[in-house]
Amino acid sequence: MKQLRILVVLPLYGGSLPIGRYVATALAQEGHLVEVFEAPEFNGAYNALSDLKVTTDRLSYLQNSFLNVISQSILAKVDTFEPDMVLALAQAPLNQQALKRLRRDGVTTAMWFVEDYKLFTYWKAFAPLYDIFAVIQQQPFIDELKNIGQPNGLYLPLAAQPDFHKPISLTSTEQRKFGSTISFMGAGYPNRRIAFRKLVNHDFKIWGTEWDGDHVLEPLVQLNGARVSPEECVKIFNATKINLNLHSSVQAQNLVTGGDFINPRTFELAACGAFQLVDKRSLMDEAFNDDELATFNSMDELLERIDYFKDNPDEREHYASKARKRVLEDHTYQSRMRTLLQFAEQVMEGWPQRKNADTVLSDLPEHLASEVTALTDRLGLPRDVAFKDLVWAVRQQQGALSELDTAILFLDEWKKLYSN
Amino acid sequence: MKRYLIIQLARFGDLIQTKRLVKSLLSRKGSEVHLCVDHSLAALARIVYPETKVHSIAAHGKENSGHVLKEVLQDNISSFQTLREQSFSEVFNLNFSPINFRVAGLFSDLPVHGYSWENGQEKIDTWPAMAMRWSRYRRLGINLMDFWAGYCPDMISPPTVNPEATPKGGGIGVVLSGRESRRSLPVETLARIVTTKASSMKAPAIYLLGSTTEADVGKKVVKSLPRHLQDKTVNLAGKTDWKGLVEIVADLNLLITPDTGTMHLAAHLGTPTLAFFLSSAWCFETGPYGIGHTVYQADTSCLPCLESEPCPYDVKCLNCFNEPEFQRFLVTEKAAHAPDNLLTFNSSFDELGLVFESTPDEDSYAGDRKIFRSIIHQFLTGQNVHASEAETPFIRKLYLDKDWSTLVPFGTIMG
Repeated sequence: MKQLRILVVLPLYGGSLPIGRYVATALAQEGHLVEVFEAPEFNGAYNALSDLKVTTDRLSYLQNSFLNVISQSILAKVDTFEPDMVLALAQAPLNQQALKRLRRDGVTTAMWFVEDYKLFTYWKAFAPLYDIFAVIQQQPFIDELKNIGQPNGLYLPLAAQPDFHKPISLTSTEQRKFGSTISFMGAGYPNRRIAFRKLVNHDFKIWGTEWDGDHVLEPLVQLNGARVSPEECVKIFNATKINLNLHSSVQAQNLVTGGDFINPRTFELAACGAFQLVDKRSLMDEAFNDDELATFNSMDELLERIDYFKDNPDEREHYASKARKRVLEDHTYQSRMRTLLQFAEQVMEGWPQRKNADTVLSDLPEHLASEVTALTDRLGLPRDVAFKDLVWAVRQQQGALSELDTAILFLDEWKKLYSN
Repeated sequence: MKRYLIIQLARFGDLIQTKRLVKSLLSRKGSEVHLCVDHSLAALARIVYPETKVHSIAAHGKENSGHVLKEVLQDNISSFQTLREQSFSEVFNLNFSPINFRVAGLFSDLPVHGYSWENGQEKIDTWPAMAMRWSRYRRLGINLMDFWAGYCPDMISPPTVNPEATPKGGGIGVVLSGRESRRSLPVETLARIVTTKASSMKAPAIYLLGSTTEADVGKKVVKSLPRHLQDKTVNLAGKTDWKGLVEIVADLNLLITPDTGTMHLAAHLGTPTLAFFLSSAWCFETGPYGIGHTVYQADTSCLPCLESEPCPYDVKCLNCFNEPEFQRFLVTEKAAHAPDNLLTFNSSFDELGLVFESTPDEDSYAGDRKIFRSIIHQFLTGQNVHASEAETPFIRKLYLDKDWSTLVPFGTIMG
């Protein structure tokens, strides 16, 4: 696919935030020109409103007003950047008014809703306002979307970012800090709290937030339950013999739920070449073969397999290497973005719009051509980059510009001033 | 030594109106002033500002075909390299134009006054931002020369900018038209005025001035003059380079002109101007700078307008110059002979800079203008700061909420 201009809109915070960053990286690696709306930078001010100690109606008004300012900021970014697509991650602060404006202006929008539709039902208000609504679950969700006027639902499972989620060498200190026979990295959902009580006699470390108040598990929780950075996650995955991956559930009756979607940790662990024991999900069979992932369907089976794998390093290695190979082949964010953009091309008539070929950068004198080539290489752009895209990439640079940078930005405006 | 760069990418008249800023910076001890202008104005800049170092870039253009774009790109890379190598201390970027913002990208690590570029974002200083707010008060106004000098808290005093205008003995110059056609007088109107003035002044010679595109207008004006004046009229439209134009204008008794670059050149040279302001031209914004100039300012309620928008009134502001009594008024200069909707202004100064005083005192905006200009002067200098109820309506328009929350104190923004 030709080079596109894509504006990635991140959420203010939350689980979809790192995914948004992987998406932006993957799109750039696919050769597209990517601009990121850094919503997290607004989060501090938004949170400050909650500390005002005012009446709830005032607080609600202020929060809505502030979110409206953020939406307007995104619209301003769209006006300037002129993207072929606005790609928003779940909880991106684009309000309904802004989405309507983008539709009116003919700007193609896509949402990657990387949440469980049964738990986060706010999709009903927003899904019809996007042109494309990518989701991590299949039927009946896709049909439900059609029922409310969203014909372009796309099943787009999560993935891994191979230049980040990868095997790494750890120092002995890191190995001691992050390593254990068994570990779990994630939030303390009710099903996990009950399930993990059966593992307290193992060399078991629990990483992540929302584990407080559980006296049984508390001794196992690392870093006092602080948030673990994505970089630290990779170290934990690499340092652990058996990474537990139990999908979350808000109920505690059925600990292994057998739900549908596959969580990002499944792909990330696999890409790290780390061994994982993961609960079986209904959408897993089309993503992995049986010999690529070691799975369990019940707590009894989990305990049994822990006992088996903890003393069988070759078996662990066998699964880990196969899972890694499969993820690198089929489950990277780059491949997901290819799928999304190909889908957009199929369902959005006339998308992406053809751009007029520009000749500004063709047939330049030799010395100037080599300067421009050095610039495009430095900016990670293809050598046949369109002038408009080069201008945008130059504009992203920080600090004082070089004479070539300045001359390119200047020429872009000069062209507009003196257009024939 | 402090090395200053002024980026002035606008036209002829704007270059001359940068003079108070240029001289203010030159007056600083150990300073060196550089000017960046369009190629077409480099020669003029060197004549008008011999104490400065002039750089030029390809800023103005007519067409943007492929080969022209490549030339502009190549040309400017070289020019920008030269600018970067100068190690400037501060930059004054004067024009609200996308190309000015981009040039400022070269200097993001320096103090850039006016219009700057920070990590891909266009930024506007408070001073020019305020100027945009008072665009609703154009009748009150501040002269562009003083506005640009406002970037310097130590701007030189207004009377020291240009010499007082005095007749030089070399006849009358006539500027055929300005860049904006509606601001210019039609051939017949202009010919009548020239006839009256040349006759009353017993002018030894008349020089028609303009560019090549105005050569034909010049021929028509000549034809419209009485025979005895035709003989002493020289149509120089398109025949002078900058040096030639300066020599002619410097030697005139009077320059008859609409609001033009040549008018500002005359003021720079101390040559008296008789200027005709109408349509979008308003003398309090762009009148000739210095003592000894007269402006005939059309004064219909729709003025000053925007030249870019069509006139719904059939350019009625022109009518006062076509009234029969106007010719008599040109000779007698008696108020009783003045046509309706015309004000006569003579140039003068106040503490902020150039003003115009009407004769007789018919300028109904004079009171508000005094208050407005006092507010601006207080803002720029921090001197004579006071408060009055009369200021309040202006203050509320000039200061926005974000100024209160984010603005730094007097003087520090301009220094």
